[in-house]
Amino acid sequence: MSELKKFNRRDFMRGAGALAFSGAAYAAVGGSEEGMLWQLDPNKCTQCGQCTTHCVLNPSAVKCLNQFNICGYCDLCFGYLMPKSRNWDTGAENQLCPTSAIVRKYVEDPYYEYVIDEDRCIGCAKCVEACLLFGNASFYLQIRQDLCINCNECSIAWACPSDAFTKVPVSEPYLYLTGGTAPVE
Amino acid sequence: MKESVKTPKNPWPPALCAVAIGGVFFYLLAHSAPDPPRKGSNTNLDVSDIINADRIETNFEETGSIVPGLEKPSALAIAPNGNIYIAGKDAVEIFGSDGEALSRFEMDGTAKCINIAQDGTTFIGLRDHVEVFDVDGELLAKWESLGPDTYITSIAADAENVFVADMGHRIVHRYGRNGELLGQIGKKDLNNDVLGLVVPSPHAFDVAFDDEGTLWVVNSGRMGLEAYRSDGVLITSWYKPSFKLEGFSGCCNPSHIAFDSAGRLITADKGLVRLKIYDVTSGEFKELIAGTKDFPTPQPLKDIAVDARDRILVLDPREDTVRIFEQKGGDRV
Repeated sequence: MSELKKFNRRDFMRGAGALAFSGAAYAAVGGSEEGMLWQLDPNKCTQCGQCTTHCVLNPSAVKCLNQFNICGYCDLCFGYLMPKSRNWDTGAENQLCPTSAIVRKYVEDPYYEYVIDEDRCIGCAKCVEACLLFGNASFYLQIRQDLCINCNECSIAWACPSDAFTKVPVSEPYLYLTGGTAPVE
Repeated sequence: MKESVKTPKNPWPPALCAVAIGGVFFYLLAHSAPDPPRKGSNTNLDVSDIINADRIETNFEETGSIVPGLEKPSALAIAPNGNIYIAGKDAVEIFGSDGEALSRFEMDGTAKCINIAQDGTTFIGLRDHVEVFDVDGELLAKWESLGPDTYITSIAADAENVFVADMGHRIVHRYGRNGELLGQIGKKDLNNDVLGLVVPSPHAFDVAFDDEGTLWVVNSGRMGLEAYRSDGVLITSWYKPSFKLEGFSGCCNPSHIAFDSAGRLITADKGLVRLKIYDVTSGEFKELIAGTKDFPTPQPLKDIAVDARDRILVLDPREDTVRIFEQKGGDRV
């Protein structure tokens, strides 16, 4: 009984304060890292191709996406067609993508929608670079969070020459193009 | 019995040896590691020959620039008196033909395009409507909005009509000078040989009058130009899709057009940013003014204009300046 009597209100306040302080310190130092994911900032990406070769997964967890509010739905899409091909048609030999991962769908004359088959995409960024050079720059790379195993030290982040890899919160796991060559409004 | 005396050993030699051995170990470790994986030839995009096609000597040189003081400079026009108008966010700045700042007037919103009619009336295209200003910069009229899907990219006014390029609806609207909507140009009409305007990008839809007053409309998705009567009847057209310097490449080109005093067509390309000269009636390529050496990144030019001295003025987004190109030696080709 005498032991209980020693634990007075001041001791309780001290204990509560210490608990609150350590909780805050944990959140500030280490707790916030939980719930953070690797992601690629497409506005810094220079299409170097390291995402294909440096991911611990094979094929890479980095995939191409098409931001449709920037896409021109072009008939002659040079993210899809090989610029120097003999014919500009949908023959496999005329496609830019080495794995034929871009699916061309007719919308209305003369507009086509370009969707990425992510099971085939290896994240080489060839289409991203071509779309930037010849189109509206609507193709971009992203880490697919359902594939990524979120390594403590992402091996692509180490290799990335443009420092495009960053950590994002789980609540906002993807980043978007903010410019391209077409205005986003 | 004699007690042996232990002399303390010098600790430095073994420590230095250990450091040296460690250094050699880590050096060998770093240099014997296999090369990092690299992309194969299939995943490399090599279009250097397409890009380098414009690395040729041209008859033009950059002779000056104008740095506007307004925010987001986005449109450029030459007035009949030779003054240079630069429009941007909430304002229009006026410069003399030698680049000296003359005046400025305020407006609401960011201009997408600007055109000065022969009588000095200024027509400014905003995203969804047109505003009209007098010579002194006083607002005369604010025309009705064309709707939420509208994206106005270019404007050209003559004595009777104002033609407004609307990328959102892929159409050129024809207005009377009083703001009355009179008709549309470029809508698909196969019975009258109008294929329809294809405009994949808001950076690639321009209209301009040639030296004879004929309206030319860029059909950038088809890589060419179309000439129309004011009532919308197609006069002629030509298209030049090609990755060669002589043609237009990418999703949509040319992005901007203007005419010099001899009626030659000046084009700006997006993607591989180039300035070129064409014969407007035949579509024959004449010469290169400037290419990717002068515009090294793929940001499209915001606007181009040609003044009475046939200088080519370019609103370049790289530094938000107006860059001026003119023929070397001052003689016309």
